[in-house]
Amino acid sequence: MLPDYIEKLVRILEREDVEWEIYWERGRSGSFSIERETLERAQRKFFSGIGLRIGLEGKVGFSYVSGLNHTNDTLENLVKRAIKLAKVGNVPFSGFPSPEKVEKVSDIYDPKIEEIPFEEAYELAEHFSSIMAEKKAELGSSYTFSGSLSMGFVHYGVLNSNGVELMEKSTGFSMSSYVVKKELKSGSGYYGQSYRSLKGWEERYSILEKALSLAEDSYNAELGKSYGGEVFLEPSAFLSVLSIFLENLRGDNVYHGRSRFSKPGEEVVSDILSIFDDSTVPGGVGSYSFDGEGSPGQRTPLVEKGILRGFVLDYTFASLMGYHSTGNAVRDFRTAPQIGFSNVVVEPGDYSEGEFEGVIISRVFGEHTANPASGDFSLTVELGYRVEDGEKIPIKGNMFVGNVFEVLKKAEAVGKRRERIGPAYVPGLVTSGKVV
Amino acid sequence: MEERLFRTAERLAERYRVEYFDIRISRAGLTSISLQNDRLEELSSNVEMGIGVRAFKGSWGFSSANDLSRAEDVIKMAMKIASLSSGSSKIYLGDPVRDDVEMLGRKKVSEVDLADKLSLVREAGSFLEGAAIKNRSVRYGDFVNEQVFINSLGSEIRTVVSRVRLSISATAHSAGEMQQYWKVFGGVGGFEIVEEVDLSHWGPFVARKAAELLKAASPPSGEFRVLMDPELTGVFIHEALGHAVEADSVKNGESILAGKLGEKIAVDGLTVVDNPTLPGKFGSYPYDDEGIKARRVEIIKDGVLREYLTDRETSAVLGLEPNGHGRAQSYAHQPLVRMSNTYVEPGDWSFDEMVEELRNGLYMIGDKGGEVDIANGTFTFGAKEGYLVENGKITKHLRDVSLSGGILDVLKSVMAIGRDVKVEFPGYCGKGQWVPVDDGGPHVLTKATVGGLK
Repeated sequence: MLPDYIEKLVRILEREDVEWEIYWERGRSGSFSIERETLERAQRKFFSGIGLRIGLEGKVGFSYVSGLNHTNDTLENLVKRAIKLAKVGNVPFSGFPSPEKVEKVSDIYDPKIEEIPFEEAYELAEHFSSIMAEKKAELGSSYTFSGSLSMGFVHYGVLNSNGVELMEKSTGFSMSSYVVKKELKSGSGYYGQSYRSLKGWEERYSILEKALSLAEDSYNAELGKSYGGEVFLEPSAFLSVLSIFLENLRGDNVYHGRSRFSKPGEEVVSDILSIFDDSTVPGGVGSYSFDGEGSPGQRTPLVEKGILRGFVLDYTFASLMGYHSTGNAVRDFRTAPQIGFSNVVVEPGDYSEGEFEGVIISRVFGEHTANPASGDFSLTVELGYRVEDGEKIPIKGNMFVGNVFEVLKKAEAVGKRRERIGPAYVPGLVTSGKVV
Repeated sequence: MEERLFRTAERLAERYRVEYFDIRISRAGLTSISLQNDRLEELSSNVEMGIGVRAFKGSWGFSSANDLSRAEDVIKMAMKIASLSSGSSKIYLGDPVRDDVEMLGRKKVSEVDLADKLSLVREAGSFLEGAAIKNRSVRYGDFVNEQVFINSLGSEIRTVVSRVRLSISATAHSAGEMQQYWKVFGGVGGFEIVEEVDLSHWGPFVARKAAELLKAASPPSGEFRVLMDPELTGVFIHEALGHAVEADSVKNGESILAGKLGEKIAVDGLTVVDNPTLPGKFGSYPYDDEGIKARRVEIIKDGVLREYLTDRETSAVLGLEPNGHGRAQSYAHQPLVRMSNTYVEPGDWSFDEMVEELRNGLYMIGDKGGEVDIANGTFTFGAKEGYLVENGKITKHLRDVSLSGGILDVLKSVMAIGRDVKVEFPGYCGKGQWVPVDDGGPHVLTKATVGGLK
């Protein structure tokens, strides 16, 4: 059943001779920040609002109002403002989606997160900080532990004048840990993970251990020698490089000539690589049943065996380019829909990382300084390893440089072990590259 | 309304034995326009109100809502959260402040017709022409935030700050190559900030640069002497020093510069300032989001680390003066220690002398952003373009350049500081929250690792 305030808004809209789309949401988030093993900041935020798009004489207008409980006057004004923006703005209108069958994605809502009393959530955060304090007591004062824990829920819905009327509830839960080891030199390690349910809590010890292990390796790491040849990109580093490539697969970038590619069909990376955008992964942190315009979520092949198969699209760019929306309109009530990825899924291969000799790149930063169009990148190596005679020697502070299109074309093997990094499912990759 | 909320907060503070609280009530007007090629992509104009409340009792409780009918619930929630605390941190209290400041510029954006803003955007787009240019993009945004800040000390500060920003960018294609170039203008003030931009100069400049970069070469890789232009000096100093002197990372023992106040960490002659009181700059503000008056901070004076950037909590814990650097993205965010306008003070070198001194190396221009690992002390930053310098002469054009260095090494490797300071590179800095900042400096000659493909 529609909330009252939405019914009220629909009644106002139906009096106008316009096409319309309402996106509404209501939610709450709570987060906790742990500094020096102590819970230092806790917060609970409430948010809600309504975004309205109007289609009028081939033009579109968008406006929003925060909060949900409004007088008729406020809602009338929201409608007037969106109509005025359509008239003034001349933003072309491509229409709104029509109703399609939407399959519910499972395990994206955990009622425990919506119902948890603040005191209980606070206790979880305190417990997380106490694990850090115990670890510090065991390891000594050269270690500093910090971290965060957060959770939230949102109820949201889309309805439009074509008859789309959809509602969904979703929840999120995340934990992270950051460890610094400082004596005469220093090292640091960060590890975080997000989930859809409170079950993620079971992984609190492993999150801390992973951050700690990265900090130990970082502490022992030194600037590596310059190197050119075979490199193994661990999932995190591979995802960083892949994110530069993926910019070229956004429909808006393709349409506007900011992408390397213009149409599907060409071989763009090594034939051992297959990449999907998939909003239907059960329990996936990027999953949804329908997107911000009400188009159904789906598994979209982006690259199959090296061949470019498609782009991620919302309804507007799909219409402009003669495709069907892939259900990749992301938004909140403050924004008109924009194209974004849901869960990025890279198919695993059969390569076992234990066989590797050369340089392993584990973690990098600085992706935003890369040029997605040319593909050239130089990323700082936060942590890596030189593997010689089976021995792993940690390195850091070097730069990993290359061209993303070449690095992905030269991919020789895909790792067997796949890691989930937030909404991405990524294996490791053997390719060739340069470290300076 | 403020009076009523303050009385509610006082009553609850007593009940929950809260040591300090503050309330921010904000009313923000936002306009954004986006044009791609000749197609208008976005035109929005909205007003949003919200409330954020913080309470302190050894640690912080915070709550916010974008629905003011929840104001009392939010106050209660923040107090309740703080009362659960078993923390033992401290905060600076100080005297109450009452003030009312407006920074709206000469031509208030609220009084400029939407059609005029749109026409400026279209005009900007029309100058981004060129044979190789396949994408022309213009983004305009103005943001006026009226905020009332009240706290348990009796402070009541009303600030109205207007920010305006215009970015123009061009993408050029040729024979499978693709390059982008862009330029951003903006500051605190009114519509005059963008109206005074010489679009007929900057539009063709950006389009020409994008096209020229198609023919530019990838830089060499390895350690080089690097001459940075004022824009790149800005991002360099922001990443190489600014984040490591934000006192939250010092307090938490994470920063590589923790415990180094009074130490010589850079070369003689290097002075670095963070100044939120510079008129008209994008990172300027009269009071921070904790009600502390903004002031100029000399971070490094003549190579010696003089001051960290602080907020109420870090100044009390570290025994320092608060200097007004607690900033929040919005009423829905807790203030964190952040930079404002960060820049290198002038030296006495001319540009020609610096190129001569560089002799063989790279001249790097423009900011493509950066990132830092403050615990390990490494940072990376990108330049929009560059030139090879051979035997004291500027030669080959270079593209897609990222550089990296170690904080403690690179500040001691500065070889020359120019006279020509510019602080006019508006941007946003992310640290879990986004805040507007500016940065800059003169041309600076130093050493860095260059990550080129050659």
